[in-house]
Amino acid sequence: MALFAVFQTTYLLALLSLRTYESEVLSEPLPLTPESLKVSVNSTCQCLHLQWTVHSLAYHQELKMVFQIQISRFKTSNVIWVENYSTTVKQNQVLHWSWESELPLECAAHFIRMRSVVDDSRIPESGFWSNWSSWEEADAQNLLGHDPLFVFPKDKLVEEGSNVTICYVSRIHQDNISCYLEGVQIHGEQLDRSVTAFELKNVSFIRKKGTNVFCKMEQGGVLGGIVLFVSKVLQEPKDFSCETQDLKTLTCTWDPGSDTGLTKQPSQSYTLFESFSGKRTLCKHRNWCNWQVAQDSQETYNFTLLAENYLRKRSVSILFNLTQRVHPMTPYNLFPKNVGATNATMTWKVHSIGNNSTLLCQLELLTEEKVIQQHNVSIKVNGEYLLSELEPDTEYVARVRCAYTKHFWKWSEFISQKFNTAEAAPSEAPDVWRNMKMVSGHPTVSLFWKPLSKVHANGKILFYNVTVENLDKPSRLEVLSIPAPARSTELTLDQCSYQIHVTAHNSVGPSPASVIVVSGDPGNEEVEKGRVNGTEDGFSVSWKPQSGDATGYVVEWCDGPQDLPCVLQWKNLGPNTTSTVISSGAFRPGVRYNFRIYGISTKRMAHLLEKKAGYLEELAPSDNPQVVMSNLTSHSFTLSWKDYSTESQPGFIQGYHVYLKPKAGEQCHQAFEKTVLPEDSVCCKYTIDNPEQKTFVVENLQPESVYEFFVTPYTSVGEGPLDAFTKVTTPDEYSHILIRIILPMVFCVLIVMIICYLKSQWLKEKCYPDIPDPYKSSVLSLIKSKENPHLTIMNVNDCVPDAIEVINKPEGSKIQFLGTRKSLTETEFTKPAYLYLLPTEKNYSGPGPCICFENFTYNQAASDFASCGHFPVTPQAPPPQLGPLTSPENLLKALEQNYMNSLGEIPAGEANLNYVSQLASPTSGDKDSLPTNPPEPALCSEYKMQMAIPLGLASAPPRENSSLSSTTLLGQGEHCS
Amino acid sequence: MDFRAGDSWGMLACLCAVLWHLPAVPAHNRTGDPGPGPSIQKTYDLTRYLEHQLRSLAGTYLNYLGPPFNEPDFNPPRLGAETLPRATVNLEVWRSLNDRLRLTQNYEAYSHLLCYLRGLNRQAATAELRRSLAHFCTSLQGLLGSIAGVMAALGYPLPQPLPGTEPTWTPGPAHSDFLQKMDDFWLLKELQTWLWRSAKDFNRLKKKMQPPAAAVTLHLEAHGF
Repeated sequence: MALFAVFQTTYLLALLSLRTYESEVLSEPLPLTPESLKVSVNSTCQCLHLQWTVHSLAYHQELKMVFQIQISRFKTSNVIWVENYSTTVKQNQVLHWSWESELPLECAAHFIRMRSVVDDSRIPESGFWSNWSSWEEADAQNLLGHDPLFVFPKDKLVEEGSNVTICYVSRIHQDNISCYLEGVQIHGEQLDRSVTAFELKNVSFIRKKGTNVFCKMEQGGVLGGIVLFVSKVLQEPKDFSCETQDLKTLTCTWDPGSDTGLTKQPSQSYTLFESFSGKRTLCKHRNWCNWQVAQDSQETYNFTLLAENYLRKRSVSILFNLTQRVHPMTPYNLFPKNVGATNATMTWKVHSIGNNSTLLCQLELLTEEKVIQQHNVSIKVNGEYLLSELEPDTEYVARVRCAYTKHFWKWSEFISQKFNTAEAAPSEAPDVWRNMKMVSGHPTVSLFWKPLSKVHANGKILFYNVTVENLDKPSRLEVLSIPAPARSTELTLDQCSYQIHVTAHNSVGPSPASVIVVSGDPGNEEVEKGRVNGTEDGFSVSWKPQSGDATGYVVEWCDGPQDLPCVLQWKNLGPNTTSTVISSGAFRPGVRYNFRIYGISTKRMAHLLEKKAGYLEELAPSDNPQVVMSNLTSHSFTLSWKDYSTESQPGFIQGYHVYLKPKAGEQCHQAFEKTVLPEDSVCCKYTIDNPEQKTFVVENLQPESVYEFFVTPYTSVGEGPLDAFTKVTTPDEYSHILIRIILPMVFCVLIVMIICYLKSQWLKEKCYPDIPDPYKSSVLSLIKSKENPHLTIMNVNDCVPDAIEVINKPEGSKIQFLGTRKSLTETEFTKPAYLYLLPTEKNYSGPGPCICFENFTYNQAASDFASCGHFPVTPQAPPPQLGPLTSPENLLKALEQNYMNSLGEIPAGEANLNYVSQLASPTSGDKDSLPTNPPEPALCSEYKMQMAIPLGLASAPPRENSSLSSTTLLGQGEHCS
Repeated sequence: MDFRAGDSWGMLACLCAVLWHLPAVPAHNRTGDPGPGPSIQKTYDLTRYLEHQLRSLAGTYLNYLGPPFNEPDFNPPRLGAETLPRATVNLEVWRSLNDRLRLTQNYEAYSHLLCYLRGLNRQAATAELRRSLAHFCTSLQGLLGSIAGVMAALGYPLPQPLPGTEPTWTPGPAHSDFLQKMDDFWLLKELQTWLWRSAKDFNRLKKKMQPPAAAVTLHLEAHGF
């Protein structure tokens, strides 16, 4: 047992000694362990600061070492960062290392440890890591107060486009915490029971006051938030340059880019640093800075412009020689001196640069904003230059700029000055033309001239002088002064020839004279007329060259249409010219323009050579002629449109189209061609190819047919508008013959009627006297001679009258009586005045003698026939009663039955002697039928062949006695015959 | 809190009201004729005008702070704004205030609020906002002078600020920008509440200061009616 104890002790000693040996062997490259590790938190930059030392180093020993640092979050096992930090270490040196955390340090506890290794070539066997230091905890949460909710990082400043992690720490472990970025809810990742993180990617600038992020608990109204300041990215200054105007002060300018200022961060600052002199200046402005040039004649400068804010610095440099950056100031006192019509002297001054420096100045002359002259002048202080070759009476602008002669860098700004050159006499004669006409029998010349162009007027034209010289007889010159801006005048001449001089005057003097010779003859000579074609460029007018001594030609025309007042235009052409193009902005399509070509003789007299007419562009006629139709017969009619003017049409009229719509089914005549109108109707067309033929006879028509016609002109472009057709109906073939017969007949009848009217009294006595005289009647003689030579006129004495009543009865009462029975009751019947020539017997019933006037104009048959027609029959009379009426008794009865009641009221209707027309009976037309209406009074008033009947038959008897009397008369009548 | 943008009508009217009022205060003691009634009326009118002006200013400023401060239903806890004078008070307490105390509280509150508002002006980032704030500060200064005038007319001394208690609006180091924005929000809200309260205060004071003769006249007129 003791042996065992000794052996064990020995073994332990041996082991201890071995271990001591090993330690000594390995201690040669002893690992240098980091010591005194301290960790601090910087919330502003969210950084962990580490500091430590390595005590084991020998004195004055410097070793290159590598420190491996491990960082864990929440717990030591959760390592989130491992980094090797290499540095050279001295004895007792405090080493520092920082680490910026993406997650705000207040939201999580962090644990840090490190170990080291010597990485120095002087110690070849130094490859062993030291032991890890103990974990150091950095927990910023301990610094927080007792608020229930915190949001981090506070007031962080980042650049636009950065990624930012935001977290909140909740002391109350609730799930109902919501967070918002600028009012918009964001969702994050829960890192711990009380910590949630949000990653904001690519944040952008919103406002200078910062971007608000806040979290709130739904219960309790707990709210926490931060402001995230997002700065715009600082840009490098652009276009950085420096220059001097006077070699005393340098002005540096640049484009600063966007402003990065926030309430948390001022706008970026700019500092100008000159490396040769080592001077710097803080610029007060964002885009320019002044630098005072030192007196020690420093020529070369190396400037660096540094822009910086809290987050970033940017710089840009330039190197230059001062004399190569001279930008002179703008010249001053630029004035014109001694301004003439064609020249002017300009003077100006410049600011001196240094001592005896020379400036190169550029003098430019402009008119109408175009540079026409450019001169370079070297000066020191005062500049002067004579400008020549100027136009009189013209506005010019002179401008001057200067540059440093020694080293051209930049021109100065321009200084400008306007001036006007003086006037000069007009340099060219006015272009004059004339128009001859007769006014009140006197030859009158209208003179026209064109205003001189500005180039030739050389000033303001004040008036025109017109000098008239008689060439045929010596006389004094007549001078007319016409104030501008008149462009024409009129002169009344006699038959002599005159030479007219026209000059334009301005304030300086007259122009050369324009000479024209006119004679009293208006010169309406007949010349060749032609046509001229218009093109896009105008009218190409050509003429035959005048043989002889033409000194030139003039083409004359009017700008406006023919119906407007003529604005006379002309164009002067040289003697060798035989064609020209007349163009004018006033030319319009569809307007006829007339051109007259004159030749100018050596005596300056114009002779009309040719006339031309043309259209810039021909158009189809715009209207159709008013067509008059005449000579209408059953087979033809004539159309005419004499008033249609071919001159005023929008094209040369080439002819006319006559459209004719034939009656249905009829073919076109052979002279016509069949055509289809736009509305698909078929009609016949006849083409008249002579524009002067303005009549047309339409022939071969059918009588009593309807035709429609329509006439339209046509030009080379087309025909006129399609108007409405005019209808015409051909008459009957014989109607004209009938008219020839009927008209004379009507005329003759009228003559006869007039004669009858004028001789009515004579005719009445001859043909139908009131009381016919049988002895005077020619009828008697006629009958006598033809039928019965023994026929005599009945003598009154042959029969014994019972009574004769002579009645003077007014016509009107008869009408009333027969016309209406009612009127009889209301109107007192005019009692007939009568004379009893013989006494009458009452109640006489048998036939007795009477006076009977036989009417010889009737034969017996007619008389028998008429006997029935004398009875007025009322509608109450039934037809079966007609038979017995043939006898007098029956007739009497019928009369009594039918008329007593109806006429009983008529007072004192004694039987009267009366004449009743035999033709006046209503039964005159039909023997077998009775009229259904009572007899019309008009029938009784008409005289025909007479026979005497009692009044009671003609008009109903008022009493029974009267009826008897009437019957007697009737029977007497029969007896007499 | 209902901040809405409105039109600013008449800084001139405000200044005129103040200028009209201020010279009348010392004169009142000498003559004693008009009494404090017109001054109270003008002060009341001025509070109503400032209410209107504040609506426009607050709308602009809260937009400048950004969401959620410009949201209509935003009602944050009053964390860092404890130094602001509170306008809200128990109704019974408010009724039991005497005239002097009522006016003194108004004067003190606007003195503090004006200081804070000037601090706000200094921090404003835009020139337009600075101009609007300066405009409102001038108006508020006019209201302060008007209240002082009423107090003088009623013979009350102005409250003297204690030395070293001059209110400042300088955020401390721990004061975050978000809390600063909340303070700005509360400053404007408190200012609005104070203007409402002042309108009530001066309306009450106005009714109280109406001469009895006027009441008789009104009574008679009512009878006649």
